Amino acid sequence: MGLILAAVGFGVITASILALAGVGFTLQFGVTNVLNLAFGSTMTAAAFVAYVVSQSAPLVVAVAAGGAFGAVFSVLVNRFVFMPFIHRGTRLFGMIIVTLSMGLVVQYSLQAIFGASFFSLPDIGGPTFHLGSFAITGPQVGILGLGLVAMACVHVLLRYTTLGKAMRATATNSDLARSCGIATDRVIDVAWAISGCLCGLAGVALALDVTAFTDTTGGDFLIPIIAVAVLGGVGQPYGAMLGALVVGVASEVAAAVISPDYKDAVAFVILILVLLVRPQGILAEVSGAKEVAS
Amino acid sequence: MSGAWQFYISTLLIYLGVDVMACWGLNLQFGYAGLVNFSFIIFQAAGAYTAAVLTLGRPTPADFQTYVGGAHWPFPLPFLAAAVAGALLAAGVGAIGLRRLRADYEAMVMLVVSLIATSVVTNATGLVNGANGLDLVPPPLLGVVHLGPLAYQWFYVGLTAALCLLVYLVVHRITGSPLGRSLRAMRENEPAAAALGRNVTQLRLAAFVVGGAIAGLSGAVLVQFLSAWSPGAWLYPETFVYFTAVIVGGSGNNLGAAVGALLVPVAFLEAVRFLPPFGPPGLIDAIQWIVIGLLAMVFLWFWPRGIVPERRRRFPRRIPSRSAADGPAR
Amino acid sequence: MRPRTRSLLAAATLACAGLAALDGAAAAAHRAPAAHPSRATLTVGEFNPFSGPDASFGPEMVGGCIPAVRLINLDGGVMGHPITCLVEDTRGDPADAVPAADKMMATVSNLVGVLGPSSDEALATVPLLNRGQVPMFVDTGQAAFDHSPYPYFWRITPADDVKGYALALWAHRAGYTRAAAVFGSDVGSQSDVPTLVKAFKQLGGHIVINQRIALDSTSYRTEVEKLVQARPQVIFTEVDPQTGATYLSELQQLHGLIPVIGTEVTLEAPWLKAVTGAIGAGAMARDFTGMQPYAPPSGPAWATFNGSLLHSSASVPQPRQWSQDPYSMTYYDGVNIMALAMLAARSTKPSRFNRDIPLVTEPGPGKVVVTSFAMGKAELAKGRRIQYVGAGGPIVFNRWHNSTGAFEAARLVGGQVKIIGEVTAAQIAQLSGH
Repeated sequence: MGLILAAVGFGVITASILALAGVGFTLQFGVTNVLNLAFGSTMTAAAFVAYVVSQSAPLVVAVAAGGAFGAVFSVLVNRFVFMPFIHRGTRLFGMIIVTLSMGLVVQYSLQAIFGASFFSLPDIGGPTFHLGSFAITGPQVGILGLGLVAMACVHVLLRYTTLGKAMRATATNSDLARSCGIATDRVIDVAWAISGCLCGLAGVALALDVTAFTDTTGGDFLIPIIAVAVLGGVGQPYGAMLGALVVGVASEVAAAVISPDYKDAVAFVILILVLLVRPQGILAEVSGAKEVAS
Repeated sequence: MSGAWQFYISTLLIYLGVDVMACWGLNLQFGYAGLVNFSFIIFQAAGAYTAAVLTLGRPTPADFQTYVGGAHWPFPLPFLAAAVAGALLAAGVGAIGLRRLRADYEAMVMLVVSLIATSVVTNATGLVNGANGLDLVPPPLLGVVHLGPLAYQWFYVGLTAALCLLVYLVVHRITGSPLGRSLRAMRENEPAAAALGRNVTQLRLAAFVVGGAIAGLSGAVLVQFLSAWSPGAWLYPETFVYFTAVIVGGSGNNLGAAVGALLVPVAFLEAVRFLPPFGPPGLIDAIQWIVIGLLAMVFLWFWPRGIVPERRRRFPRRIPSRSAADGPAR
Repeated sequence: MRPRTRSLLAAATLACAGLAALDGAAAAAHRAPAAHPSRATLTVGEFNPFSGPDASFGPEMVGGCIPAVRLINLDGGVMGHPITCLVEDTRGDPADAVPAADKMMATVSNLVGVLGPSSDEALATVPLLNRGQVPMFVDTGQAAFDHSPYPYFWRITPADDVKGYALALWAHRAGYTRAAAVFGSDVGSQSDVPTLVKAFKQLGGHIVINQRIALDSTSYRTEVEKLVQARPQVIFTEVDPQTGATYLSELQQLHGLIPVIGTEVTLEAPWLKAVTGAIGAGAMARDFTGMQPYAPPSGPAWATFNGSLLHSSASVPQPRQWSQDPYSMTYYDGVNIMALAMLAARSTKPSRFNRDIPLVTEPGPGKVVVTSFAMGKAELAKGRRIQYVGAGGPIVFNRWHNSTGAFEAARLVGGQVKIIGEVTAAQIAQLSGH
């Protein structure tokens, strides 16, 4: 029993990384309608940026640099790659090939630059807190805090600012939003920036959590992120937060109760179950006829 | 030509045959039906494993590899079974994945399916020997034809060519038929196709299953030649190589898919082998994948219709309509 | 596997003889004429993964091949032929390795032998290389080759199933009775587990928990918790670098580290780098031990190898990292053995010299022990018969062309791998009942 409670606690830590990534993923998808399969590789790239910065600056600066890189990189990729393709009339299934290509290019560029080796961010140390068989270390407290603060910021942004309202409006119906005088292009830029920033932070948090990362680390994490987004309903940041909690806790509990072997399978099973049982979260009827366009 | 060169050339020809078959299968799904099947490679894998297990015989306890089942089926049953396995897996995956989702969701689901398959096969080691894969698969008909290694290799080239022809006849038959027209109509405008009384769900599933069967067969041809098969040979980026091939060659037409198969997986990837080694290990490999990714994007930008574009089909216009005149714009 | 004993006296005599000869050999290397420019260059293929999940194998091989050909060429080549190493990337899977093998055999003229293949592609490509009459010094540990029928197959690395005995013996000697087995779910790692469990039990120990770990998860906190509850005194492990780093750092953070005994995988550079980065050099030096095939970084053959390696920085990036790598030493020995066999057979044709390979390695009355190519060449020129003792120790092929020996325990101290002890072939044989 103690082990299961501890597993729940550990699950919350994993969930905070999943929440950062999942909210970023779903927010951008909801607003811009582009399913970004380069998300995982962008996370890895941010982790590498943080690694480079951490060689000559404190870790806090490195974390911020990772987030900033994610934001800038995402906006640029959207402006100079994804958007032009959309304006050229590339359709949904063309776009998904474009984003996947982008992901491969980013991942293998990292391998070309840094080599197929393993890298570690500096250890921030700090005390380990014990609570029965649950224990939490300094870096994990940091990851947890990062996740909570970021989620609070997203909440404030979406609920209490005009920009948030505009984003929600664009996500619901971009044509209508534009007719109502919302500068949807600007909103889309902002959405990419916020999503990219969360993506970058998630990448750094992931690198801290796994302690040794390589060029495939973020890409390997893409499935749980997709599971989180799908579970929460794509375009639903609050859904993604809840989804992150479910996926994070479920996989740790599965490792405790069944076998560590089946830990990753949990995200898969959740994804398949959602698709079979509750596909309305991701059903075609609402947006099926709508091509990717702004 | 020296024996070693003949071995090399014939090996490449067999790979070309496998890749052409696979590209035709993918083209049927992607080029004709508009399905973005990012799990395509697992159907090839399913065929390969099926053919391997059905020729290896039952595993002995002293064996270094473990797998489920096992039999000594004679040629051509393992090939047939491989196609059936590909088709059955496609029917299963299609029933889950092709639930009238948006095209990009569908692609995402397929990508996940591909990763799940790799994870299951790698972790469930009793299934088909996990990450080490299956080895020592006996070559078909070796005991029947009584040929030396080189002659047998050329015999296998002929066998591959014959199976290619068979696959071509099937895909040609489908794409040239009313079914092919329905698939294209669905790709261009799904609601319209549905409104005209086409059962869109069935059409999509049909294309998916036939494509899966072809992929399964191509896997059998490959594994019976290689004698070995492991998860390293069917990681999800391999699907992407086939997608790039179809896009480069020209999707929605069988000649284009074949040209793509020749250019990308055979000519380009083989040319990379001839590069003198430079940089740290893994650099050439990384650059190769970067080029594949860029190739797909560049073609989608400049030549979205590929090297051999799909023939524009002109039909007499009975109803004046704006949208019908727009050709496939991808 | 045929057990092989090693007498201390023989080793000592050998070392003295070798040391005396070393100076002469090194001096000779500088005086010797360069290889005859008009003779065709011989090529040794480096047939291993240089990309994909096992991309770390390839560079280890380069770290052995380049120093060997460098010394051979300084000594005038093989019968006037210069010799060179050629990278042939198998990409770590049979589907890529088969055309690579065919391409190599078709396009490389004067291919005299290959180093490799590895476990990733051995079963599919060993028959092809054998058919093409290319001698190969493989680095696969697969038990399938314990009784290899291929005449061109040669293996001087130990079979995988032997590892479990070595790990169990070392833990037993350290006085541990409660151990945990933490192995990756991949087949390569799992193949060590049955012999390990059996051997540790035979020695009176108890495996208190046997974990099969899914690789590259973001955390192993729950697994670590389970491990700690089983109260092991020591952890046996073989997992990939990222998994090892995550698992051990979480164990360290949550409960403090327990001693770890790893297989030779854990002594490879990427693993040491990833795990040291994660748990710190101090913890690594205190709690980690790795077991690898016995190849002590000492003795005349090793000194010659290491000297040449350190002079090869133009072709081997950061050569120092391979100084103590048993696989690099094995490849170095493989090239030397083939070159000496060519001299003994007076032919550079593999079909001629392949059967001379055991003749230049096995001990025998009246044979001169040599520890480098130059020494061997000189002795052969005098009409003497030789026994080559390599950087990785003596080599005795059994009728299946397998030669495996002892294991050594190593630690990482101050960023350097330090050998701290040995498990002999005899001890392993006694335990395995072979």
